[in-house]
Amino acid sequence: MAYQPPKQVIVLPQTQQLKACTTIIRDNNTQRADFIFYSDRIIRILVEEGLNHLPVVEKTVVTPTGKEFHGIDFQGRICGVSIMRAGESMEQGLRDVCRSVRIGKILIQRDEETALPKLYYAKFPPDIASRFCLLLDPMLATGGSAIKAIETLIDYGVAEERILFLNLISCPEGIAAVVAKFPAMKIVTAEIDAGLDEKLYINPGLGDFGCRYFGTDK
Amino acid sequence: MKSKLGNHVIAGEGRPPWYRSDGQNCDCYIVGIAGGSASGKTSVAQRIIKNLNVPWVVLLSMDSFYKDLTAEEVEIAHRNDWDFDSPNSYDYDLLLETVTKLKEGKQVDVPIYDFETHKRVPNKVNTVYGANVIIFEGIFGLYDKKVLEMMDLKVFVDTDVDICLARRIKRDVAERGFDVTGVLKLYQRFVKPSYDNYVYPTKKNADVVIPRGLENLVAIDLLTKHIQRQLQERKMQSRWDMARICPPHELPSNVVVLEETKQIKGLHTIIRDIETSRHDFIFYADRLATLVIERALNELPYEPKEVETPTKKTVHGLGLKAKIAGVSILRAGGTMENGLRRVIRDAVIGKILIQTDPNNGEPQLHYCKLPPTIREANTYIFLMDAVVGTGAAGLMAIRVLLDHAVPEDRIVFLSFLAAPQGLHTISRAFPKVRIVTSYVDPVLNPDTLYLEPGLGNFGDRYFGTEHE
Repeated sequence: MAYQPPKQVIVLPQTQQLKACTTIIRDNNTQRADFIFYSDRIIRILVEEGLNHLPVVEKTVVTPTGKEFHGIDFQGRICGVSIMRAGESMEQGLRDVCRSVRIGKILIQRDEETALPKLYYAKFPPDIASRFCLLLDPMLATGGSAIKAIETLIDYGVAEERILFLNLISCPEGIAAVVAKFPAMKIVTAEIDAGLDEKLYINPGLGDFGCRYFGTDK
Repeated sequence: MKSKLGNHVIAGEGRPPWYRSDGQNCDCYIVGIAGGSASGKTSVAQRIIKNLNVPWVVLLSMDSFYKDLTAEEVEIAHRNDWDFDSPNSYDYDLLLETVTKLKEGKQVDVPIYDFETHKRVPNKVNTVYGANVIIFEGIFGLYDKKVLEMMDLKVFVDTDVDICLARRIKRDVAERGFDVTGVLKLYQRFVKPSYDNYVYPTKKNADVVIPRGLENLVAIDLLTKHIQRQLQERKMQSRWDMARICPPHELPSNVVVLEETKQIKGLHTIIRDIETSRHDFIFYADRLATLVIERALNELPYEPKEVETPTKKTVHGLGLKAKIAGVSILRAGGTMENGLRRVIRDAVIGKILIQTDPNNGEPQLHYCKLPPTIREANTYIFLMDAVVGTGAAGLMAIRVLLDHAVPEDRIVFLSFLAAPQGLHTISRAFPKVRIVTSYVDPVLNPDTLYLEPGLGNFGDRYFGTEHE
């Protein structure tokens, strides 16, 4: 294992069943129904892991047997923010775990003239500044749109250390770019691939996640 | 039989444990009944079953073990020239195999014999499982030496031969369309010589001879009482005794407890809280079930798998090298099915209903429907229960799976919460079964059988059947 991700990055435990799930979604022969099902499975694990990094307080409850259980309670409220369009594919997985969570949206597209990511649309819960944000984008390639999205969140008053960036597949280049800019933020990722290819796609990656999830690929 | 209305099933109807506390089967009790044709063997057997009044009794007829006839032999049989009363007409090897398996408590497939074609019906069998008592009857029921050795009680029904003949004439004329001359011809040619030469001499193999057959109520009553006494002596430890076991400090090595992360602890805080609404209880229980299932998947075998991505890159991944069948221990184990389906969409699911007898704390098997795929190679069973207390229900369910020919090392036993007592009891009996649970509580209350701090009755809280 040559690559050691920086401490801001939380990689899911590399279990065999996780690897089997990513093998399925990477496979070009996988049908769309399976692609969605196995993506959702990974996303649920990602969200569960993400929640592990939120602050908690001790909480003692009384069980039906009349005894005390010394447990914990999550502190603070959360919201999801999906980077459109591919990030929206992670909303189902998020809702499976956090039932009626509020979800903000950001649309970022590449500016044809400057070739830089440009913010087209943002709609957040009004009290977003007081929430922990689970930022959703399935692939972290160059990190261009992620950085733009995080900048937008910070503009809206969200503290950098209260953002958790969840993605399925990342690469060292994207991680380096995002961590350099926002060292206080955490990234939760399922797998880290070798790097970017000449077209700046993740290698080996899985193609266009949004197209495969929403069925708009040819 | 006692019946209790409300949440409990009717007590006394389930099958009490047929295995010892180490998980090994006790032999089932086999009664063999022989006697001449039309002597009333079947009627005696049926009366014993009726008097025993327990559901886990199987009546096995020797007719199921007739040998297949060849085309030539079938023709002879159709001319009424075939000797069905010869001791050579039966397949004693298959009979011995069947009785041996039944005695060991295993599931067996009993052939169905077609008296029209004189062959076993192809691809059709009677599946028999779960008998504490087997009553085996046939004219040669006490004939084969090896089969005799399997029997715990051997009975010969000694009805007067004139009465037998009268019954046979009446039956064959009324039910089988023979005329009296035909019946007498067969009787003289085959039935009588066979009875005199082979059947009657087996009377000396019997422990008990019942003169007059069904009319002999005193004899049948004595037999029934004897069998009941034998069954009584096979009781195993009650759940209350099992709860008092003092378990070793360390958990057994085949137990996996989910890592106590914040979200596992947070989920447990919610489902344990008595103030939690059912709406929330179900939601968080389902979430926890999903995590338990995901963890259990890691216990299965995987194999390298190479795939190509849409961008034409090769990925060296993994593929699951197993099929999964869920089996839930009802009622509470059914609460894990949602979690299972979230992870394995189309998992086949079998069900085993086990309830505690409120009178003696014994687990009882009431119902069992298992998918046929459980025996296929590479199929792993996710056996699901909500809470493992004494381990009594888990022990019974695992025993059921083993009796259905599932290898022990292909069973993964899943639960939300477990007590050390139950984990030790199960892994002592079945060390190759893997156990996955999300939390272990320290105390199993020996009076209430609830875990402490625990979470109360999981099934009641999930299904909303608790008292207000």
